[in-house]
Amino acid sequence: MGRTLVIAKKEMKDTLRDRRTMLLLVVFPMVVMPALMLLILRFTERQAESADAEYVEIALIGDEYAPGLRQAVAADTQIVVVPGVRPDDVRNLIRRDSLDGAIVVPSDFQDRVDADAQASMMILFQSSRSFDVTERRLRDVVEAYDDEIVSGRISRLALDPDLFDAIDTQEVDLATLQEVLGQQVGGFLPYLFVIFMLTAAMNVGIDLSAGEKERGTLETLLSSPATRFEIVVGKFLVISLVAIASAFAAIVSISLVVRFGIGEEIPPEIMEVIWSILNVKVIAMLATLLIPLAAFFASAVLAIAIMAKSFKEAQGSLMPLMMVVIVPVLLGVLPGMELNARTALVPILNVSLATKDVISGTINPLHLAISYASLFALAGLSLWFCVKWFSREETLFRN
Amino acid sequence: MIRVTELRKLFKVTRRMRKELGASAPEGDHIAAVDGVSFECRPGRVFGLIGPNGAGKTTALRMVATMLKPSSGSITVAGFDVVREAQEVRSNIGFLTGNTGLYDRLTATEMVRYHADLHGMDEEQFEERKRYLFATLGMDGFADRRIARLSTGMRQKVSIARTIIHDPPVIVFDEPTAGLDVMTSRAIVELIRTSRDAGKTVLFSTHVMGEVKLLCDDIAIIHEGRLYFNGSKDEFESQMTQGTYEDEFIHLVGEA
Repeated sequence: MGRTLVIAKKEMKDTLRDRRTMLLLVVFPMVVMPALMLLILRFTERQAESADAEYVEIALIGDEYAPGLRQAVAADTQIVVVPGVRPDDVRNLIRRDSLDGAIVVPSDFQDRVDADAQASMMILFQSSRSFDVTERRLRDVVEAYDDEIVSGRISRLALDPDLFDAIDTQEVDLATLQEVLGQQVGGFLPYLFVIFMLTAAMNVGIDLSAGEKERGTLETLLSSPATRFEIVVGKFLVISLVAIASAFAAIVSISLVVRFGIGEEIPPEIMEVIWSILNVKVIAMLATLLIPLAAFFASAVLAIAIMAKSFKEAQGSLMPLMMVVIVPVLLGVLPGMELNARTALVPILNVSLATKDVISGTINPLHLAISYASLFALAGLSLWFCVKWFSREETLFRN
Repeated sequence: MIRVTELRKLFKVTRRMRKELGASAPEGDHIAAVDGVSFECRPGRVFGLIGPNGAGKTTALRMVATMLKPSSGSITVAGFDVVREAQEVRSNIGFLTGNTGLYDRLTATEMVRYHADLHGMDEEQFEERKRYLFATLGMDGFADRRIARLSTGMRQKVSIARTIIHDPPVIVFDEPTAGLDVMTSRAIVELIRTSRDAGKTVLFSTHVMGEVKLLCDDIAIIHEGRLYFNGSKDEFESQMTQGTYEDEFIHLVGEA
């Protein structure tokens, strides 16, 4: 164990002094990531706001057959009625974006309304345009107009309004706020963990393996009394540690963004739940899921990168690993995917699913145990393979 | 003491190698990089393994340093077998090549310290040995400077210091002066001499005949994995038919 620690200590010192790597591992998750998050958040907010504030230009065709429609339209101050549009042109104008939409009223409209029959009205729009604002606005207008006519009929016939509203549905959501947050945020967090941990493992891992070959230091190390096992484990420890540190940095920075960046926009009751989620038990459970994952990444990266002769070659050969790892994470956010005895067996997918349940506070201990067992088995297996692989002459001296 | 007996190393011929070699590709699945080589390096003497590029020098030395395993034959270093007692062998060897790298982000002292730690030296042993080596090699002026900021000559000195920090009885150099300037190669030449005078076993490979003439007590000439000469420098000189070492070398190898 002595020499393993000597190697690990040296590799750690070497890594901490590598400015480029540290920049990527600390500055990226701590600064760039939250900044990006804030930017995206603000941008989508702004987009949604401006879509609401946007004026919608429409034409009213045949509105003379529907008295009262004009008032209903005027109720929405964001709708501008363009006058003098000929019925034959209206479709073309919308297609050409000169108009956002139109309401077309047939000539028999009022007659049918007066006869207490069902009349029709047409809404024209293009769904491919921003957020379906036009369709939503015009539908609201028509529905308001419809309500007006219906309530006129009800009062004229002296009927009880409840006659047409037989069921008063009352929705009671029994999910706690924590569970809702867990399913939403919990699906997003594993992405970050996996991406940050893998990026960290790849950067440090390549430096400690292919980098040693490129610099010609591998031979020096191999001629020392350290065994291959000690060398692999020493490097493996450092890569795992940096990977975990990177995920931790991401968690810290996200917490800071939530607390200080967008804190005032989040309702206090949600904030309270967020802080109650961030307790020792949840963090410990997440950490124990991440440790074997980091161990797997470290040994997988080490085994692949040591084959390469140079930094560049190693980067290329690690790309498929990135793909293989991302797929189970993606599966984890699909609706209907749940942590059960079977999905808990699938490494990475189980991290993705378990994270949601851990944050929701609904984690099943048996499923968590199976996830741990599967992850630790994978990590152990990949480390064993890595040591075996490292002992092959063809791996180390490929030329 | 290094004893090499009937050493053989076979490498698998890959499809790519076969393509690259073309007509000169071997018929079987394997190619012998070292083929039935035997020699002995004794304490207090410098043994030169001489051959052109691709002769099998590096492969042979890597087997001596336990990085590669012999396909057949045996090697003992300071009485230890390279296959069965690899770790003991590595503890008794200092191994240096012309392109052995250093860790740029460590200081000279840290680099040497790393190797001392890997050899399990205690603080006292390390300090004493470091003081001696840094003074002899003239390294005190840059002991705490990062290796990235050292000149080639300084780096070579760090390499030497880390190679012999544990005072090994056997020192193996694989083309130690390759690519170095005159001043720097002189430091290596000096190291080889002092090691010999201190009773160490020194094995080094080179294709520079000047170094052979200057340093070696014993010589082995290797070409395409086989030995063409093995004996003392005096024996080599007495059987020479050509005027210079170079000519003799080409003559010997060319005859084959």
